[in-house]
Amino acid sequence: MKRCLLFILLISLLFLSGCWDKVEIDQRIFVSSIGVDANEDGHMNKFNIIYEYPNINAIGKGATEDEKIFILETPASSIFQAARELSTRVPFPFYFKHVKVLVLGHEVLHDEKAFREIIDELNRDTKINKRLQILVAEGKARDIIDVNVIREQTTDRDLYSMVQDDRSSSRYTFQTLAGLISDFDFSGVTITPRVIIKNDRYIVSGGCLLKNYKHLAWIDEKENRAISAINGDIINETIDAIYDDNLISYTVTNIKSRKKVQVDDQIDVHIFVRLEGYLQGYIMGAEKPAYDSQVLKEMEKAIEKSVKREIERTIKKLQKEYNADVIGVGEHISKFQPKKWRELKDKWDELFPDINIQVSVDVKIRRTGLTR
Amino acid sequence: MQGKNKISNRQIKALLVTTIVGVGVLSLPSDVAIVLNNGGWIGILLGGLISIPFIMVINKLFSIDPGKSFFQISYQVVGRAVTKVFLFIIFSYFIMVLAYTVRLFSEVIKTYLLENTPTEVIILTMLLATAYIARSKIEVLARFAVMIYPIIVGFVIFLLVVNLPNNDFTNILPLFDIDYKLIPRAVYASFFSYAGYEILLFAQHISEDESRSLKYSVGSMFMVIGIYLVIFFITLSRNGIHQLKREIWPTIAVIKEIDLPGYFLENLDGVVMAVWVLVVYATVGPFFYACGVTIAEIFGFNSHKLFIPFLIPLIYIIALIPDNLVTVNEILGSIGNYLNVAAVVIVPIIILIAAYVRKGREKV
Repeated sequence: MKRCLLFILLISLLFLSGCWDKVEIDQRIFVSSIGVDANEDGHMNKFNIIYEYPNINAIGKGATEDEKIFILETPASSIFQAARELSTRVPFPFYFKHVKVLVLGHEVLHDEKAFREIIDELNRDTKINKRLQILVAEGKARDIIDVNVIREQTTDRDLYSMVQDDRSSSRYTFQTLAGLISDFDFSGVTITPRVIIKNDRYIVSGGCLLKNYKHLAWIDEKENRAISAINGDIINETIDAIYDDNLISYTVTNIKSRKKVQVDDQIDVHIFVRLEGYLQGYIMGAEKPAYDSQVLKEMEKAIEKSVKREIERTIKKLQKEYNADVIGVGEHISKFQPKKWRELKDKWDELFPDINIQVSVDVKIRRTGLTR
Repeated sequence: MQGKNKISNRQIKALLVTTIVGVGVLSLPSDVAIVLNNGGWIGILLGGLISIPFIMVINKLFSIDPGKSFFQISYQVVGRAVTKVFLFIIFSYFIMVLAYTVRLFSEVIKTYLLENTPTEVIILTMLLATAYIARSKIEVLARFAVMIYPIIVGFVIFLLVVNLPNNDFTNILPLFDIDYKLIPRAVYASFFSYAGYEILLFAQHISEDESRSLKYSVGSMFMVIGIYLVIFFITLSRNGIHQLKREIWPTIAVIKEIDLPGYFLENLDGVVMAVWVLVVYATVGPFFYACGVTIAEIFGFNSHKLFIPFLIPLIYIIALIPDNLVTVNEILGSIGNYLNVAAVVIVPIIILIAAYVRKGREKV
């Protein structure tokens, strides 16, 4: 009897064990970057989807193959549809959990519906990480990804490390999928970094202004810097100003900004920007040495003036030309004065160009470097 | 420790917290946010506070005749026949909750972890695993709960700590912009997430110190309210109210987005799901136990062990009735909610009132 039971138990092992979801790690294609271009000829397949994935066999010491990355391209109706289209060309299924970068060709952004489809698809998917970095290519996404192949770089490693912390520059502002969605939710306007190709190299420079899932305008580096200053997320930036006919450069180490919004008949916004930093460069043999509190005060004034002019010019452009509330005035009102926001919400687009925005800049030079 | 048929009040507290916190914690933030937007916290708070009087009712019930079980008290007060009807209501409520919980559990697991594994297999393995612990006594369940309790608390603290640097806490504002007419609906939405304290009906009479267990029970309720509020505010501040309303399981969405400086931790959802399986196990176990005890009492058996295996197919079939996730919430969720009110609120109150009426008559 006991032996019989044991026998049944042993046999059952054959049928009871198993795993439906077992996939060996080398039998997966880890898509690392996705590019999306518009495809005008395609009827249903309105996108050109590009997948980039590393060749696992070319990584590490015992690499057996040379080619570092593979790129696949296909017309498809959506990002994930492309995986089905491409499945006839690759040995293993695609795996999207480690996608780091999404490059959008700017033509896609002119079609609001198409862009909304892409974002919904990514937001809905269970594998995609919401910290996926989004960049907009001036031109085709395909070219950006191709440039890397020539230089044997991978888009995800390079572009991703460039944008992930936003540590190197405030000339562009990084944007994640989650951040993009919540920006659109709150104010309908957002900025994503722009990638362009120059001399067979890509450059991340400036930004792409998007409004309600549609391309609105390109903004340059200076404008992007001003917007970053208003939103208080400059990390490392050097600002030039003229003082006493000499050029001084000032490195920002810390920035704080806040807004004060008053809603009466007229909407008054006061933006306070406070910069902290040190003197990066002045001139040899200066008449007025920098190691003097009076001189430093005047220098601060000069920098304040230059920063203020830059910010004011950008705000004016945002108000009159683009009508894009990317500086978060509407968001501020909706959070701190929700009752008033309910009245303003629907006509915000008409109101924003005419609101009164004042800027105060407070610059502090904390250190002057090694010399007096 | 062996042969001790008592549980401490601390164990009761752990048992309550682990039983209450279950599948609801994943979807609760968006459930209340849909109704009340940023004011959803008030729905969570009131939903929890409203549950406290019912805990008091249950506690009062046991004070009628300390040391006696819920069944014995009920037989004494309302008689055998009525008790059996009550027990049937409670039994069907437990079945409903179990079916709802295991179905949701399998849906979440299927979405995030095991895409190709059939729902049936996930439900069945979960039920078989919980059937094991459900066959033991309440003391064992309580000891198990003490083990799970730090995991839940630790998980919430972990969630709070890793999200503090990156969250934009102005997203919580406006805090007090609340449409007061909608509060009852928000409370209704959160009320089911507090289901589980009825396990007291089966645990309190063997407490070591019954007079002080009310303090611990209410304390555990505040603990749960705290846990839910922390999770609500974290999910809200992460991406703002609009995205919160869009998401079905915002708690996991937040975990997926964890991005610590140095980013050696990414895509933590797999790890957290593993922890969450334990949490659900600690919810299903006590419910399953209570379900078995109730049906055993209806048929007049002393031991519930026999019934547990027979309940598995019943729960399994009910869990598989809804076609998809939307109907799970529509059908099982709403029936469970009504039965919850009937079983946990109405039945104890009726018994308590009957007890007072009887006492009054005896005096006269």
